[in-house]
Amino acid sequence: MINLNNMVDYHHFPIYSIMVLFLGAFLIAATGGKESKNPRNPAGFRAWIALIATGLSLFFLGSLVKPVMMDGEVIAYWMGSRGIAGGYAIGIALEVDALSLFFALLISTAVFVSAIYSIRYMVHDDCVPQYYVLYCLLAGGVLGLVLSGDIFNMFVMVEILTFAAVALTAFRTKVYGALEAAFKYLVVGCMGSTAILTGVIMLYAQYHTLNLAQLASLIPGSMNNATKLAFAFLYIGFSTKAFIVPFHPLAADAHGAAPASISVLISGVLTKSGIYGIIRLTYFLFQTMNLGASQFMLVFIGSVSMFVCVTMALAQHDFKRLLAYHSISQIGYVLAAVGLSTSLGVSAGLYHAMNHTLFKGLLFLAAGAVLHETGTTDLGKLGGLSKKMPHTTVLFLIGAFSISGVPPFNGFASKWMIYQAAYQKAVESNNIGFLAVTIVALVTSTLTLASFVKVSQSVFFGQLPKEYENVKEVPFGMRLAMGILAVLCILTGIFPNTVTGILTQPAAKAVADVGEYITAMGFKSNLPVPELNFAQVGVWEPINWLLILCCALLALTVVAVAGKYDRVSESESENEAVETKYQLFYGGEKNVYSQVGGGDLFWGFKHNWRHYFSFMHDLHSGVVNDYALWAVVALALAIVYMMIVF
Amino acid sequence: MTANIFLNGLQYLGYILIFPGFLFCFLCGMLLVGIDRKLVARMQKRVGPPILQPFYDFFKLCGKETIVPAAASRTTFLLAPLVGLAALVVIQLFIPIRGFSAFSGMADIIVVLYLLLIPALAAILGAAASGSPYAGVGLSREMVTIIACELPLVLVLLAVAKAVGSTMGSGLCFSLSEIARYQVENGSLITRLSMIPAAIAFAMVIPGETGSHPFDTAEAETEICEGMHAEYSGAPLAVFKLSHAVKVLTMTSLFVALFLGGVGTGIIAVDGVIVFALCVIATALFISFVHAVTARLKIEQVFKYYWTVVSGLALLSLVLAWYGL
Amino acid sequence: MFQKLIAESTAKSPWLFHINSGSCNGCDIELVAVLTPRYDVERLGFKLTGSPRQADIVVVTGPVTKQSLDRVLSAISQVPEPKCVVTMGSCPQSGNVFKGSYSVCAPLSKYVHVDVDIAGCAPKPEAIMDGLVKATQILKEKRGQK
Repeated sequence: MINLNNMVDYHHFPIYSIMVLFLGAFLIAATGGKESKNPRNPAGFRAWIALIATGLSLFFLGSLVKPVMMDGEVIAYWMGSRGIAGGYAIGIALEVDALSLFFALLISTAVFVSAIYSIRYMVHDDCVPQYYVLYCLLAGGVLGLVLSGDIFNMFVMVEILTFAAVALTAFRTKVYGALEAAFKYLVVGCMGSTAILTGVIMLYAQYHTLNLAQLASLIPGSMNNATKLAFAFLYIGFSTKAFIVPFHPLAADAHGAAPASISVLISGVLTKSGIYGIIRLTYFLFQTMNLGASQFMLVFIGSVSMFVCVTMALAQHDFKRLLAYHSISQIGYVLAAVGLSTSLGVSAGLYHAMNHTLFKGLLFLAAGAVLHETGTTDLGKLGGLSKKMPHTTVLFLIGAFSISGVPPFNGFASKWMIYQAAYQKAVESNNIGFLAVTIVALVTSTLTLASFVKVSQSVFFGQLPKEYENVKEVPFGMRLAMGILAVLCILTGIFPNTVTGILTQPAAKAVADVGEYITAMGFKSNLPVPELNFAQVGVWEPINWLLILCCALLALTVVAVAGKYDRVSESESENEAVETKYQLFYGGEKNVYSQVGGGDLFWGFKHNWRHYFSFMHDLHSGVVNDYALWAVVALALAIVYMMIVF
Repeated sequence: MTANIFLNGLQYLGYILIFPGFLFCFLCGMLLVGIDRKLVARMQKRVGPPILQPFYDFFKLCGKETIVPAAASRTTFLLAPLVGLAALVVIQLFIPIRGFSAFSGMADIIVVLYLLLIPALAAILGAAASGSPYAGVGLSREMVTIIACELPLVLVLLAVAKAVGSTMGSGLCFSLSEIARYQVENGSLITRLSMIPAAIAFAMVIPGETGSHPFDTAEAETEICEGMHAEYSGAPLAVFKLSHAVKVLTMTSLFVALFLGGVGTGIIAVDGVIVFALCVIATALFISFVHAVTARLKIEQVFKYYWTVVSGLALLSLVLAWYGL
Repeated sequence: MFQKLIAESTAKSPWLFHINSGSCNGCDIELVAVLTPRYDVERLGFKLTGSPRQADIVVVTGPVTKQSLDRVLSAISQVPEPKCVVTMGSCPQSGNVFKGSYSVCAPLSKYVHVDVDIAGCAPKPEAIMDGLVKATQILKEKRGQK
């Protein structure tokens, strides 16, 4: 007899949130692959199954905010009540602390919004029911990874999500390069998974347990060469999932080829799982973050990712590839901030991770909307879409402002915290190296703005090519999904203190308080409870600023309207042959289509960096053998580095 | 209680609308530009326009027809100038005038750094929305100029934060009003050895940020037909001209607030006049003089200049400040 | 009062847009010469702009060749109201020595309303300044009628 009271106990919610997704995948697969006749929703009720599954998953996780985030409880959940026997964990465990829940919430939000978007977006494709199977598998895999309490299950979930992600990358087989991108991803992704498995095996051989909490209680006191080797393998394994340097080229290919709704998951969800893995490794399992060497490793890789990828993005000609590089650049911010190993830094990094999921999701969905209507994302071919797709343009601009850190959007709030954290760290440790992080981050932010100016000029503004004159606004379902993310972008930007108070500071607290994580699972820990300091140097109260800006704008608008600012003269029809007054000024010439394209918009910048850019161009050969070699070299370097410094 | 809130609100409204908000920005910015044009003319042995010329230009443009090209995106095209101007006025509200700042405690130099991007961004989006290829080329150059100026600006502001912070005790200091307070107590920042290169670097950034000679590649009227403003006419153009004037005021008064601060008289009006006089001197030295003696650079030369010479100076200052000089 | 202010300002801030419709460059050089220190029309508020959208006065030089006619007319049409068209030199007024040529469309007044003619080949700087000041008065009148 099922006890209903027991079932609604929130301790079961983590496993429910994973199970509904896998159950959804099973149900969709079980109903077969026959497509429905409705041209607006070829997957029929299966799309609704996916939507309900992701929605339920979000609901379960959302109701955990109260106990885990606010009351600071760590949920330790043993499957089938098999727990610890003889001092060793033998069961399968889920362990949900604030950090896990934080990432899980991000993931399920992105998955849910993208599911709404998929319904109307996937109308032009074949095999849409299968798409939803893979979609639910991917979502379940990532959720399982961040909620899992033992390292072998983490590996299993990595396998599931890699499988689903590779298949979804190759989903649009008609798109040029889709199979090639999937193949590259498969090769390097498998190397990453293998590295994780190797690391897990090495740990199990030494410590005879797979439970994260128990490993965390055993490892730090007894680091030997085999542990360090395992650390290197695990680190590289999770790096491939986060696509940080040197694995960034894969992300560009995968995002360019995958459907936009999947790009959202790859960028907003998959990379987050990699970051989650790295945080778990460095802060929990091996507890090396109090060492300068470990901080240096993360901060250095983060800064390099930030800068290299933003310059790579400036050189791109494709909307989605550009976004892909930006996504790694923003992950660089997260990694560098987390690597600072101060409570403000971790909180800022997590905040930025959240914002990244929101704004990058929004931007990918906007790119998908453009692709859906025009059939291309080539920056050289598009232009002037703002007249045809005004809502998409506004939503895109919100995303673009957020990612470039224009106040008062969310990107600004988190970047501002990162700058402060890095500068504070530099002053406290009297190490001028951390200062470079602040400078690189600020410059990167401007370059990000530059490349989104490029996108808005060459896609949404400028002149409309003849062949896109019949383009329409995207369906409501797609705009709804983008709208949700846009509203979240604005809200998290305007209320940074609330957001950090409820979400990121508890997560940062969980990162610092490893002892709690270990004892909650029933193991002994003598780690002290840390003192946390979230004090900031500057003050950023967006409400005040926004109020002043609104007053200023209002006053200005009143003056402007009084001065007949709005009484403008406009052409009645767009095709007046005789009337040249409303045509653009071409030095008197007749108007012909002439768009200043995105390809080389910032040549004044590129010209000065031409040696760097030609070096990067040669380096990113696009050959999978090269990228596999990079992975091996990175692994070798990581092993050497860890052997030397720890 | 309610009356108190009402009075406070009225006071803040006064700040926003009159001093140091719109009216102050309008009058002083325009005057600065007028003085600049007169000075440049005198340096070139011309009589030059009257000092009130920018006001005439502004009112004339308000009376002209506003043409929206058929190819333009109307809303963005018309809204962009307003947003840019509002952002500039907001920055001006936070720049301390001697000891006085209208909204104290909220001004943070990183926020100011980012808010300085908004006017340029608004101009860029407006230009992009006009659809003109000339504007396209202009916005490309404007964006490169922004990137060029950003690095030295960041370095200068970090150096100031460190220099002030190491004396004030907390290690670093991002607040503009704190910087003003420091200068009231310890004298102008420019008297510190480590801040001299920073002040020079900031002075070199001023013409780049305001789009003045020799860095006015973005609106080179002889090559690319006014660049970003190629399709603007009438009132929106007037707002852009006003934005430019306010930006001159913002950059010079930021310079004054960061490096030439000090003890004020305590009377806001007198302090305002002192600061404005310093702004005039800064404009004369860093904008008019440079304008009169240089010719326009190419865009890649602008970029190279800022990322080598000016950034080098700023970096020197940062390193000196780091070691406590 | 605001209207009066605008009308006054219109006379004090005339911006020029210069179109060369096949001129020999003599007039063009003379026009630029009035901006130099010796004559300095900037003291009257004149300024050369690069785009017709910002101009108040369009100065046309040259005999309006067939090739340039469409371009001249479209550029003039793009100037916002109130505007003023000034022809400079004898060419756009009569065709000068090119009169009767198959490729010359002068006079310009056949196609658009011309407000001020500045005669001469090339006109004296004083004549140019006089013509431009007349044009500013016409601008002010046009603004006042509104």
